[in-house]
Amino acid sequence: MASILQALFDGIASGAIYGIIALGLSLQFGVMKIINFAHGSFLMIAMYLSYVAANSLGLHLLAAIPVVVAVLYVVGLAAQRWLIEPVYMKESTREPISVLIFTTGLWIFLDNLFLVIAGPDYRTPDSDWATGIFIVGDVILTYPQVAGLIIAVLVTVALVAFMRFTRLGRAIRATGQDREAANVLGIDSASVYRTSFAIGLAVLGVSGPLLLASYPVDPFIGDLFGLRAFIVVVLGGIGSIGGALAGGLLVGLIESLGAQFLPITYSQALIFGVFLAVLYFRPQGLFGMERA
Amino acid sequence: MTMARSYWLPIGAGIAMMLLPLLLTNPYALSVVVLALLYSYLSLSWNLIGGIGGQLSLGHAAYFGIGAYTSTVLFTELGISPWFGMIAGAGLASVAAVVIGMPCFRLRGAYYALATLAAAMILMVLVENTNDFLGGPRGLDVRLLHDAPLSFQHTDKRFYYYIILAFVVCALLINAWALRSRFGYYLTAIRNDHEAAAALGVDAQRFKLIAAVASAAMTAVGGTFYAQYVLFIAPEKVFGSHLSVQIAVICIVGGRGTLWGPVLGAFLLLPAEDLARTLTGGTPGVTMMLYGLLLMVVMRFEPRGIIVLMERALAEWNRWKGKTARMGKGVA
Repeated sequence: MASILQALFDGIASGAIYGIIALGLSLQFGVMKIINFAHGSFLMIAMYLSYVAANSLGLHLLAAIPVVVAVLYVVGLAAQRWLIEPVYMKESTREPISVLIFTTGLWIFLDNLFLVIAGPDYRTPDSDWATGIFIVGDVILTYPQVAGLIIAVLVTVALVAFMRFTRLGRAIRATGQDREAANVLGIDSASVYRTSFAIGLAVLGVSGPLLLASYPVDPFIGDLFGLRAFIVVVLGGIGSIGGALAGGLLVGLIESLGAQFLPITYSQALIFGVFLAVLYFRPQGLFGMERA
Repeated sequence: MTMARSYWLPIGAGIAMMLLPLLLTNPYALSVVVLALLYSYLSLSWNLIGGIGGQLSLGHAAYFGIGAYTSTVLFTELGISPWFGMIAGAGLASVAAVVIGMPCFRLRGAYYALATLAAAMILMVLVENTNDFLGGPRGLDVRLLHDAPLSFQHTDKRFYYYIILAFVVCALLINAWALRSRFGYYLTAIRNDHEAAAALGVDAQRFKLIAAVASAAMTAVGGTFYAQYVLFIAPEKVFGSHLSVQIAVICIVGGRGTLWGPVLGAFLLLPAEDLARTLTGGTPGVTMMLYGLLLMVVMRFEPRGIIVLMERALAEWNRWKGKTARMGKGVA
C-alpha cells in the first residue's frame, strides 16, 4: 500500500514536469500548426544552461529558473526569426511538413553539436537542495518534486490567464484560429509567431532546472523527454494548455503505476500503446479543454 | 529523342554497375559501394511513403530491425534459410506498419512521424531488455556457414554486391511504377491537397496504408540483407534512431518523391560522411551534425532536393551545347 502511494506521488510529480515540457510545444502548435521536433533539444540546452548556472555561477537551482527562462526566450525569438520563419513562410498549407523536416534537422544538429562540445558525459549539478526530502507518513517527497508540482500548476494557470486576459494573448489566440482574419484586423502574424515560439521556449526553460535536479544532463537527454512531451501533447489534445498538464500527469501516473506491476521497459511500451489508442479513438485528445 | 536519352542513361549506368566489381579489387572500396547501394535501397523504400506518399517517417529502423532479427532468429534457432526468413520479416514488418499506420493515416500532420519515431525507440528498448532470447543489448551473431549462397552467405563480398544491386534495381522499378501509375497519382493528389483528393473520392487512408506497408516490407528485406552481410546485429545498430534519420535524410536531401533522388542522396552523403569522419579523426557526433545541417540547408533553400539542382544544371548545359552547335553550323 505504501509503495502504491509512493508510486502515485512520484507519478504525479514527474507528470507535472512532463506537463511543463509539453506546454510550450502545445502552445506553438496551437498557434502555428507546426510540431517543433527540436523541442527536446531546446530542453537539453535549458538543462545545460541550468548546469552552468548552478555549477559555474553558483546559483541555487530555483534561482536559475528566471535566468534560463530569459535566455530561452531570446533563443526562441532568434530561432523563429532566422531559422523557422523563412521555411514556414514559404509553405502554403497550414500544416507544413517542411517545417517538420526542418526542425528534425535542427534537432539532430543541436544534439550532436552538444555531443561535440560537451562530450558524452552525464553531468549532475552541485546542489544540496536537489537531494533534500520531506517525509510524510510512509511517503518520501523530494524538494525538487514538491517544487516542480507547485511551479507546474503556477505556470499553467499563468499561461491560461495570459492567453485569456491580455491583449497579446488574445492576439496569439486570434492568429491561431484564423491567420488571415487576424491579419485583416491589423495583427502582424509574423511577430505573433515569433512571440509565441519564444514564449513556448521560455516555458520550456522553467523545466530545465527542475528536471536537472532529478536527472543528470547529457546531449541526448532531450530525445527521451521530447518524445514523451509529444505523447503528452497528443493525449492532452494538441493546442490545449490545460490539456498539456493533464496529459503530463496521466503519462507520469501510467509510467510509475505501470512500473509497480510491469518491468520498467514495458511501461514505456504501455504509454506508446495508450498513445496509439488515443490517436485511433480520440485524436482530439482525452480532455475537452480550451484551445490556445 | 529525349525519350531515347532518358532510357540510355539508366541502361548505361546498369552495365557500368554490373562491371564495377571487376575494377574494384580493393575490398574497402567495394564495401563503400555496397553500403551506398544498401542506403540507396533503403531510401528508395522510404521514398514510397515518405516521398511519394508525403508522410514523414522517422522510425524506419523499426522495420529494418524487424527484418534483421526475424531472419536471424529463424536461421539460428530453427535453421530456416534467411531467404525465407527475409519474407517472414517482410510480413512481420507489414503487420507493424498497419498497426502504426491505421491510427495515424486518418489524421494529418506530425502524427505519423511521432508514431514511427516512438515505435522504433520502443522496439529497441524491448529488444535490449530481452536478456537471452534476442541477445539483449549485446546483439546476435549470425551462424557462420561461409560459402552457402542458399543460406544467403558467401565469403566473396561480390556476392552481396550483386544481390544489393538487384534489390536497388527492383526498388527503382517499384518506384518508377508508383510514380507513373494511378496509385502514384492518387498518392500525389493526397499529398498536394488532402481535402480536394478526398472530395474526388480518393480513399486517402487506404492508399497511404498500402504505401506504408510496401515501404515497410521492402525496408525489412534490407534488414535481412544487412544481417547476412555483416553477420552480426545489435539493437542500437538496427533499431537506433541514427539509422532512421539517415534513411530519411538521404531521401530528402537527394530529392523526395523523385526516382533518382534517393540514389543520388546515398552516393553523395555516404562518402561525405566517410570523409567527415576521417577529417575529424572520428569525433563522435560530427557526421550526424552534418546530416542535421544538410537537412536544414536543403529545406531552407531547395526543399525538393539536390536532384532538382542537377536537373537545372543539366538543362542549362544542354541549352548552352545547343547554342554552340547551332553557331558551329552557322545557322544562328
